[in-house]
Amino acid sequence: MLEIKNLHARIDDREILKGLDLKVPAGEVHAIMGPNGSGKSTLAYVLAGKEEYEVTEGSITWNGQNLLEMGPDERAAAGVFLAFQYPIEIPGVATMTFLRTAVNSVRKARGQEEYSTPEFMRVVREHAKELKIDPEMLKRPLNMGFSGGEKKRNEILQMSLLEPSLCVLDETDSGLDIDALRIVADGVNRLRSPDRSMIVITHYQRLLNYIVPDRVHVLSQGQVARSGDADLALELEKTGYAEFRGEAA
Amino acid sequence: MDLPVKQLRSKAEQDLLDVFSAVNEALPGAENKTVAKIRSDALADYASVGLPHRRVEAWKYTDLRSQMPEAFPLVQASGRAISDAEIETALSPRIAGIDAYRLVVAEGEFRPELSDVTALKEKGAELHSLAETLEHLPEELKPLLAESGYQRSGFEVAPTATKQIPDPIIALNKALMTGGVILRLKQGAALDKPVHLINLDGEGEPSASVTRAIVVLEKGTSLDLIESYASLGGRGLQRNAMTQIVLGESAAIEHSKLQLEDAEAMHLANLIVTMGAEARYNGFQYSLGARLSRNDVRVLFEGEGGTMSFNGAALLKDSQHCDTTMVVEHMVPHCTSRELYKAVLDGDSRGVFQAKVIVAPDAQKTDGKQMGQALLLSQGAEFDTKPELEIFADDVVCGHGATSGQIDEDLLFYLEARGIPEPTARALLIQAFVGEALEQIEDEPVREALTAATADWLGVAFD
Repeated sequence: MLEIKNLHARIDDREILKGLDLKVPAGEVHAIMGPNGSGKSTLAYVLAGKEEYEVTEGSITWNGQNLLEMGPDERAAAGVFLAFQYPIEIPGVATMTFLRTAVNSVRKARGQEEYSTPEFMRVVREHAKELKIDPEMLKRPLNMGFSGGEKKRNEILQMSLLEPSLCVLDETDSGLDIDALRIVADGVNRLRSPDRSMIVITHYQRLLNYIVPDRVHVLSQGQVARSGDADLALELEKTGYAEFRGEAA
Repeated sequence: MDLPVKQLRSKAEQDLLDVFSAVNEALPGAENKTVAKIRSDALADYASVGLPHRRVEAWKYTDLRSQMPEAFPLVQASGRAISDAEIETALSPRIAGIDAYRLVVAEGEFRPELSDVTALKEKGAELHSLAETLEHLPEELKPLLAESGYQRSGFEVAPTATKQIPDPIIALNKALMTGGVILRLKQGAALDKPVHLINLDGEGEPSASVTRAIVVLEKGTSLDLIESYASLGGRGLQRNAMTQIVLGESAAIEHSKLQLEDAEAMHLANLIVTMGAEARYNGFQYSLGARLSRNDVRVLFEGEGGTMSFNGAALLKDSQHCDTTMVVEHMVPHCTSRELYKAVLDGDSRGVFQAKVIVAPDAQKTDGKQMGQALLLSQGAEFDTKPELEIFADDVVCGHGATSGQIDEDLLFYLEARGIPEPTARALLIQAFVGEALEQIEDEPVREALTAATADWLGVAFD
């Protein structure tokens, strides 16, 4: 269970999250929607532990652990995974080296045995196949020269390899055509399980046709303004975010 | 009132003159008039300028005069046996383990009994000890031995610059060289393995080593040359090493120079490459050791259609100082030059990369690009880079770039968010930064050995 209470967070001198409350029980998928600037991506970064975001008030606990006391790598080991809206390109770091280093770091931190190179190759190939990722792509430097769709699939590949218990998907649908969206959504749906919680951040309802959420929350000015079931997303699709924009920040 | 003009010499400058007086008559080739003349002229060149200092433009960032308090006496070769284990310790097992024909120069002397002389000769390579050659110098080698490193071109618009100032480091090499090798591949000769020229010095009392390597590749031949420089664990080493590579028409060389000396050493190196028509040079300089190192690199395009790629990486910490200064002269049309240099600087270390590209009036269709990049890991580290383009032709493509920065926090966060602890994530990014230059090495065992050496330096292992 993820429990966020009265969360206030700022970047530079700007307060973005202004008392956000959210509970995501184990096994549920919650969608976070809302207009630009409402704090959706900030929430994702704060959950993953990006340093520039300063939490000034409130708490985040994940299965009883205080996430705010942990570094990003410790959060990853504790099961938190952020699928980035804009996956970073890292020249010179081979995708395979990166994946193996990440997976073995997390396994080590969780007290699991690290994979040998051949074992790991086999595991990666299996997961890559399900996501229709060409093994050749994994020989390239991380995300370098990947298309938008390939980058997002690579994020989902990492997600499935790292076996997280809390997945945060930040605008995973942005920049995807319908085919790529379907592959990504299928990948995410395969990972749904009773002991895995998910937060799906999206601007549009479209993604939620493929990843059907248990709950939908609308963010406005750094707070949850409204919550409902999957139908809330359909309603927003019709009405737009006008009522949630409020006075300009 | 006339003021007497008195040249003030630093202690080290005077020491060097004294070293020459002390050993002059015992140096190889002392009986040979031509060699004796080369040496005495060179000493006069040195004496006229002294050690380089910061007011000499090319040495702006490396004030040798102030950084060299004294000059050590020339090493006295003991000729003692050097075991494989000692070589392995000096170079690291990975680098010592590269499968190659070995040529060992130790204590300033070529050591045939430690070298693969017979095997190389069987493959058609011509090999000579420099010291022996100096005793009966063949006329054709004289210009190479007497090389002063003067700029060949670029005077068309500045004729007053024709009076060149001698390079004191080259001059000292000429005056004091004690040994080394001359390797020549004649047309048709082909080696099935790289040649690894291993230089080992600095044992016992502080000493200086002055050596020369000359590599001549005749038309159409190719060579994979590794030069490594290491210490034997003594109390101080001042090295002056000069390497000349002459590439004939369509000759090709893959050249890696590894500087692995201990943290007290001083390493002064000159590399001069002359490129024949359609010749190909792919070079890499890896600088890991020495407190003070200076690599002067001169590449001269003398024949059309030559291609040169020079890459390097310096990994420095504490108060290490490494300066790589290049002059690339395009004297003829249709040649291509590329330089990519990476410095990783920790502690109070300082990296310098200067590259001057000169395009002579006739050198149309020249394509020259250079890039110097530094990653600063600490507040105390400093990187100085100075690109210079002197272009006297109008139909050329030339460019240069330089960057200096810290590890990108967004990249770091991405790796950490995937569970990679910060120290490993940093190491991975540093490895990647250096890797871009290492990738240019075509000799796979060398590339792998240097990739592993970089990981060792970072204190991590990525398999």
